[in-house]
Amino acid sequence: MAREECKALLDGLNKTTACYHHLVLTVGGSADSQNLRQELQKTRQKAQELAVSTCARLTAVLRDRGLAADERAEFERLWVAFSGCLDLLEADMRRALELGAAFPLHAPRRPLVRTGVAGASSGVAARALSTRSLRLEAEGDFDVADLRELEREVLQVGEMIDNMEMKVNVPRWTVQARQAAGAELLSTVSAGPSSVVSVEERGGGCDPRKALAAIIFGAVLLAAVALAVCVAKLS
Amino acid sequence: MAAGPAPPPGRPRAQMPHLRKMERVVVSMQDPDQGVKMRSQRLLVTVIPHAVTGSDVVQWLTQKFCISEEEARHLGAALVQHGYIYPLRDPRSLVLRPDETPYRFQTPYFWTSTLWPAAELDYAIYLAKKNIRKQGTLVDYEKECYDRLHTKINHAWDLVLMQAREQLRAAKQRRKGDRLVIACQEQTYWLVNRPPPGAPSVLEQGPGRGSCAASRVHMTKSADFYKQEIEYCRRALGRTRVKSSVCLEAHLSFCGQRGPHDPLVSGCLPSNPWISDDDAYWVMNAPTVVAPTKLRVERWGFSFRELLEDPVGRAHFMDFLGKEFSGENLSFWEACEELRYGAQAQVPTLVDAVYQQFLAPGAARWVNIDSRTMERTLEGLRQPHRYVLDDAQLHIYMLMKKDSYPRFLKSDMYKGLLAEAGIPLETKKRVFPFSRRPRHSSPSPALLPTPVEPTAAGGPGGGDGVA
Repeated sequence: MAREECKALLDGLNKTTACYHHLVLTVGGSADSQNLRQELQKTRQKAQELAVSTCARLTAVLRDRGLAADERAEFERLWVAFSGCLDLLEADMRRALELGAAFPLHAPRRPLVRTGVAGASSGVAARALSTRSLRLEAEGDFDVADLRELEREVLQVGEMIDNMEMKVNVPRWTVQARQAAGAELLSTVSAGPSSVVSVEERGGGCDPRKALAAIIFGAVLLAAVALAVCVAKLS
Repeated sequence: MAAGPAPPPGRPRAQMPHLRKMERVVVSMQDPDQGVKMRSQRLLVTVIPHAVTGSDVVQWLTQKFCISEEEARHLGAALVQHGYIYPLRDPRSLVLRPDETPYRFQTPYFWTSTLWPAAELDYAIYLAKKNIRKQGTLVDYEKECYDRLHTKINHAWDLVLMQAREQLRAAKQRRKGDRLVIACQEQTYWLVNRPPPGAPSVLEQGPGRGSCAASRVHMTKSADFYKQEIEYCRRALGRTRVKSSVCLEAHLSFCGQRGPHDPLVSGCLPSNPWISDDDAYWVMNAPTVVAPTKLRVERWGFSFRELLEDPVGRAHFMDFLGKEFSGENLSFWEACEELRYGAQAQVPTLVDAVYQQFLAPGAARWVNIDSRTMERTLEGLRQPHRYVLDDAQLHIYMLMKKDSYPRFLKSDMYKGLLAEAGIPLETKKRVFPFSRRPRHSSPSPALLPTPVEPTAAGGPGGGDGVA
């Protein structure tokens, strides 16, 4: 089904853009290295591939005149999300170009800013490329050639955006978002300290796994208390 | 960032100079030998490097720039306010405390920049992320911004939520210390770019300040670029400059001369129409009036331009020139003004008329222009346009200014006008038995208000003639 395919491609592009944004944040800081630049290159190339394929699919669908109205609305929503994503990607790429030029690694003109971020970012890059782990070894002068390529790619992405706007005309004001304000709270991925296993009940829709774990924990605790009492009585 | 609308054409975005200077200071602080001393921040389990204390920063600034401590503190406070250094303990208050409070440097991506202004879409993504992380407990103004953005960029809301979720998942791939640091950095960035209500915004540019010289990132510094730079510097060197001592003296003398004539500074007689609702002042100072006031006649003596701009003055000057048999100069000047500011369609006929009347050899009112200007004017008359008589007009203007004008000022006619011109009387006030008003009917707003009796203020004396 064309819609599922487009949605999947868009999700992939979204994920790669988010990872690219996260990687660009650290350029120029203490975590900057040739490896980071190589990870950036791989991520943005993947993002561009996804963008090209999504663009092709969506353009083909939207230029088809014989599309039903509600389907067209659906595809227009996807289109607006796609073009926004592409704008974010282009802006991050421009930023990466500027920061990469300002903080060259091969012949450093100025020291890197010590920001406190010291760890490796291979996890983020692996997530972007949808692989389990990533092991890169970049040469010492990787960033010099990379900047030139990046400049070209920025122009390419800009051209793609222009072509998109020329081919398909979707007025932004006609698209209405499906999700209301605060929708992200309803289906959040449980993050942070909120998933502490606790003994007390937590409302009707509780996770059965969590209840089972709570019961087992309680049983082990009781057994430990009983043993301690026996030992105290014996001694 | 900057996934927003393109800059207005013809005026590229530029990084403001003070931000560039601050960036240079921050970068020089990073020097491993001569930079600021770095410590580590110890949280419960994690250790995060690269923390600096406020006192270290102030001391480094004092030493590096050889300035006093007060100035160093001010400079450090500016750095913190603009978000280049952020506090670790109390992240919401961007002040520099010159003691042991720890600070950390902001990553270059999040440096304050007018070149890459913060976009609404990015702010929406940040608020959505915060919403998810804090399970809906946003600060008041952030909630308002969130709702407003939801209406404003409603079409992109799906993208906002998708990106927010993905960015949080991407952040999880890092270790805890890095995650904390990046979250603090982002929070500081948005505190600077979208300050809470009541906090001053450092990115406010006053009116007309947006036009800094554009400086884009030049990947290739070619010969053309350097040629442009050289030309720019040469032009900048050749600009005429006046010393402020000279300017200020001129300004002082101007103010001293014009002070008594300014109605706001010295009050206006008979009374200020805005206060007393009596428009006698305007009637007496209308452009064409039979009896000009004394102040007006005095102003004609300040400069020739004042005299010519005042219709009454110009008429009297024309009379004077008539007596001296050089009235054609002023008529020629007036005709040239009419040409310059008149209708485009009349230009050829008017030029012709002026030529016939003033410039042709043997004309009725021939004006005395020197030969070089006359040649140039006659050349230009072949293709008449609005400004073809400019040279001749300027010559005649300077002639009148140097020659006839001083004689006019010394003449009996002018002295007679000065003597005749009267000072208008103040409007008679109604005498209130309980009021003690100042003598001058309309006190200058520049003076401090004199105390007024409370009874009079309460009484019906709002009315006219009193201030």
